[in-house]
Amino acid sequence: MISESGRNQILAKWQESFTRLNGNQPGIAGLMNFAKAWKFAREYLYPIDINDPSPKVYAAQEIRAAFEVLGNARRLAAIFETFLEDMRTQQHLITRDVNHHMSRYEETSDPRAVADLVFRLIQWHTAWAPGQEFGHQVLSAFNHTFQTHTFSVLPSSFSSGFKSLIEMTLEPYLDTEESRSRGKEHPADLRLWAGFECLGMLERYESLISSVCYEAIEKHVWDKCAKSWVEPELANLREWMTDCIVPWMLLPYARGARNSEEAKVMLQGVGARFDFHMCKTLCDLRIGEIFDIIIDYPDSKGALQDLKECLQRVDQRSQLVLALRKANTRRLLHPGADTKDILAQYVSIMRCLRFVDPPGVLLHKVADPIRKYLRGRPDTIRCIVANLVGDKESGDSLADVDEPVQPLSQVQMEDYSDPNWEPEPVDAGPDFRTNKPSDTISTLVSIYDSKDLFIKELQVLLAQRLLAVQDGNFDSERKNIEILKVRFGEAPLQVCEVMLKDMTDSKRIDQHIQAQDECVLHSTIISRHFWPPLQGNKLVMPAQFQEVQDRYANGFTEFKPDKKLHWLPQLGTITLELELQDRSIEVEVTPLEAAVIGHFEEKEEWTTDALISSVGGAVEKSMMTKALSKWANLGVIKEKEGGEFVLLEVQEEGGASLLTASRQAVVEETPSVITVEQQQAGQMKVYWRFIEGMLTNLGSLPLDRIQTMLRIAPGYDKTVEQLATFMEAARREGLVTVQGGLWKLNR
Amino acid sequence: MKVKIKSWHAIAQWRWDTGNADHDEGDGEGDVCGICRVPYEGCCPTCKVPGDDCPLIWGECSHVFHMHCLLKWIGTPASKQQCPMDRRTWVTAERKVPSQASKESEVSA
Repeated sequence: MISESGRNQILAKWQESFTRLNGNQPGIAGLMNFAKAWKFAREYLYPIDINDPSPKVYAAQEIRAAFEVLGNARRLAAIFETFLEDMRTQQHLITRDVNHHMSRYEETSDPRAVADLVFRLIQWHTAWAPGQEFGHQVLSAFNHTFQTHTFSVLPSSFSSGFKSLIEMTLEPYLDTEESRSRGKEHPADLRLWAGFECLGMLERYESLISSVCYEAIEKHVWDKCAKSWVEPELANLREWMTDCIVPWMLLPYARGARNSEEAKVMLQGVGARFDFHMCKTLCDLRIGEIFDIIIDYPDSKGALQDLKECLQRVDQRSQLVLALRKANTRRLLHPGADTKDILAQYVSIMRCLRFVDPPGVLLHKVADPIRKYLRGRPDTIRCIVANLVGDKESGDSLADVDEPVQPLSQVQMEDYSDPNWEPEPVDAGPDFRTNKPSDTISTLVSIYDSKDLFIKELQVLLAQRLLAVQDGNFDSERKNIEILKVRFGEAPLQVCEVMLKDMTDSKRIDQHIQAQDECVLHSTIISRHFWPPLQGNKLVMPAQFQEVQDRYANGFTEFKPDKKLHWLPQLGTITLELELQDRSIEVEVTPLEAAVIGHFEEKEEWTTDALISSVGGAVEKSMMTKALSKWANLGVIKEKEGGEFVLLEVQEEGGASLLTASRQAVVEETPSVITVEQQQAGQMKVYWRFIEGMLTNLGSLPLDRIQTMLRIAPGYDKTVEQLATFMEAARREGLVTVQGGLWKLNR
Repeated sequence: MKVKIKSWHAIAQWRWDTGNADHDEGDGEGDVCGICRVPYEGCCPTCKVPGDDCPLIWGECSHVFHMHCLLKWIGTPASKQQCPMDRRTWVTAERKVPSQASKESEVSA
């Protein structure tokens, strides 16, 4: 049973509620009034079916009166509660429409179905919305309920439909011509966007809307800029953004802006996002193309300009480095590429990256693998040197013609008193050092630790060129050496200077000797010790040739009484005239070939071996065969069965088809100057004796032990790496074996 | 058949005629100056260009040096005008020495 106080309490509550509803009316008249007002209000607010042909019309007077009654009774909240409840019961009406439109979209994939749906939803929204007079709170509660419901019934295909709808609205803007001529938005679009906002779709599908825009930007960038590198494109792209994208952006992002100033402010954030995206897309595109852009340099300067600007806005530097390194490994640093091409590309990379990133951090990161790779190539130095001396065959010069010649830059210590000092860039690696942009050649030379290798290779190259000079014109060589002096300094090139002096001296001496006693022989007299080792198989010339040589040598000794000549008979060229019974041939040949044909003058039949012994026995058989085949090709001799060669005094039918080309240039297949590698290999041969002795006495030894012991040997200056290469070569020849790092003789 | 040489571009090295036989035929380093240990066909440490610019000097004692090296040696009081190899008084051999060099050596001697 309820206690007395409980009952009293209930009674008081009841009384209070009753009074509130009934007001000060007598009896239950107030209550009746309230009930009437309640019923009316509920009917007025009730979410109608908009398909209903005859909507009820309510008088504003009545509405106000009814809500006044409810307000007095403090039941307004309750009536709205009921209204939202009623909405829930009526939701199936909307659901039906949604399903109808969406199934139409799914069938046709026509975004206009989605647009229709949106318009329809707006109709529902307006029909159901309570009037403005109920205040903000009520409206937002209504909106919330309405949107919750709408979104809950939208099928998953709606987002794709919505996206294509947005695309459809964007499309006309992308056509530059049209957007310029139109100047104003489509009214339909305006309504649509208003609807989106009203239905809360702008917030909900925000990312979808911007993704549409991103995609449009990406597509445009790809269409416009891919493979077009000549002009910088970024400015055009920005213009395109202003012309095409910004007018469209006004709709979703600057709704309600009253003037352009306001619109500008509203667009600022989102505009920056799109601009960033555009830069990023362009940057990605260019990074993907970077290798080819570098190949095309300097025709691709525009693209590099873009890249530079984009990199400042977008932090893609590490991607650039990665992409370029990958492209280099894949396309450049493989055995199929010419060293010359690698160098050329490296130089282009240098120029391009210096342009994009003047401090050189990017370059430093990209160049490292290239430099490592080049260091491993045997002919890198030769290529660089050939370029230094401006070898015509090597094609384009690596260095710019207009690049000032300057001394090779040394590694600079940091200058602490420099007022313009700048810290190293933040993404610089630990071994990065800020260096001033140095010239191309210095950078190439710095691939190697020492300049000596270059000087040596330079000597070899210069020797080759000088010995080939016949007309006594070596001005270009002299000029090159002068240029190189500026780079390498005077002292290291002293040797080259002597070589050049030898050339001028020879010319003078030759003139003098010719004046005393005219001679067919003209000589180049060189200072040994100042020329790289010259290849020499001792060659004994036939008497006729020896005579000429002796006469010339005598002339020389007369001119320079304290000196004598030491011939290098295997070098040089001789022009011969052969008088045969029915023809005469004039031909330029090597000394060996001349010696061979000289011997045929004495005797008409020779075997290869007999010829070899008659020219001194130091000539390799292959060389001799080559010399013989030269004459055979000229139709002067022919090979009989049994390996004998016989002179053809009378031309054979069909045997001399090559006579027309008798004055062939001498093709020097074997360079007469011993290359640096050959020299090194020769030096190592000496040390092989030491190594052999060591290993015989001590059994097996590790590499560094061999190195330590070799250091004692006079003149040994090889590094462990060089020794390792040598030992490896010896292993391949089967002279030594290696096991667990221990080398021993192979017996 | 007759073989006629029309023209010949040959290559030769020059050597000092030291009177010794050409025992260093081929790639040998050849004789070196007894003072600076540089081959005769090279040049003394103060010179840059070999040959006539850095000639040799022959002594009666049959020793041969770079002229500059010897003159420098003779110029030091410790030399006592002796050949550094055999400590005999240095006498320049007139026969082989280029005229200019002999004059100079006489002046300094």
